[in-house]
Amino acid sequence: MRKVEKISTAKDFPYPHIIVKNFLDDSTLDLVVDALAGLEYDFKESDLFSYWASVELTDIDHPAINILRDDLGDELWRNKVAEAFSSKPLSSIDMAAYVYGLGDFLLPHDDQVEERIIAYSLHLTPEITEEMGGALQIFDVDENNKSKLVDSIIPEYNSLIMFEVSKHSWHQVGEILQDIQRLTVTGWYHR
Amino acid sequence: MNRIFNSAEIPFIRLSKFLAEAPKKVNPKLSSEEKIGYYNRKIGDALLDDFWTSSVFNDFLCKATGLKPKFRKSSHISYSSGDYSLLHMDESESNRLLVMYDLTKKWRHEWGGYDLYTSPDKDPLVCNRDFGSLMIVKLNPGDLSCTRYVSLKAQSSAHIDWIVYDLD
Repeated sequence: MRKVEKISTAKDFPYPHIIVKNFLDDSTLDLVVDALAGLEYDFKESDLFSYWASVELTDIDHPAINILRDDLGDELWRNKVAEAFSSKPLSSIDMAAYVYGLGDFLLPHDDQVEERIIAYSLHLTPEITEEMGGALQIFDVDENNKSKLVDSIIPEYNSLIMFEVSKHSWHQVGEILQDIQRLTVTGWYHR
Repeated sequence: MNRIFNSAEIPFIRLSKFLAEAPKKVNPKLSSEEKIGYYNRKIGDALLDDFWTSSVFNDFLCKATGLKPKFRKSSHISYSSGDYSLLHMDESESNRLLVMYDLTKKWRHEWGGYDLYTSPDKDPLVCNRDFGSLMIVKLNPGDLSCTRYVSLKAQSSAHIDWIVYDLD
């Protein structure tokens, strides 16, 4: 189950984003991590990224993943997320698990696809340090498409990071520099 | 050479040790060029610009490809750790011949930095870094090219003289 029920105020710069710590209670967290470890992941590679991805988790019927889907996407939580971002009502989520290993990365992009309102990622790898890589890096971009790194968020275990999707929401996952498996459940809240 | 060039799905030819004497020192004056979501790299004047615009080289291109290329522009491009270019930067391009002269020394494949060419419904073409080699590729509208992200672990930079010729 969700451990947290309140969402702090979004930081506005360079675009609205929130970090929610201790999202799941301990027993749910253990069950979810076990369930995700049992999934099959396919290697995906393009000019923009290199990572391993699961199937769409909204299609899976598994007790722990069903609980996670509700914790991230039930009406109560969606209303809290909409309120925190001052957005219109959010109707649904999509959800998949991603694993970044040594050398994997996701280059800068803004997530803009029709109907995506809020992006989220639930971080499920303990004790990641800066030296390991894999930080969620967010950028401020000027009118000439020149970027400035504003924040490099080292993903804390059991933290949920959310941001508003817009033409300003430039971000990347930094290259993984050590032999770790950076696991997240990631997706978007839709209109 | 003409037959070799046209034998692949994406027409290309690659010639190792193209010049009898490659530039020994590669120390061009470069400036950063970034367009987030498209590329991040350094760019300057091509080291061998006089040669790429010469009639001697143009004649060579005509014989090697069977085409009539018209020089458009040349640059020297460098990719260091964290640098990249993405495929969609080519989305508005026309029929063209790309020529790349590789001036990269001491490169390791695991650092990335290779060139990639794609065409709808065709297998992609990958060109690894190789000092002194000349790569000639014919691309149509809708064909795209990019340079693979360079790992933060890379201990040197990829250097390429990059020349574009228009095709009628």
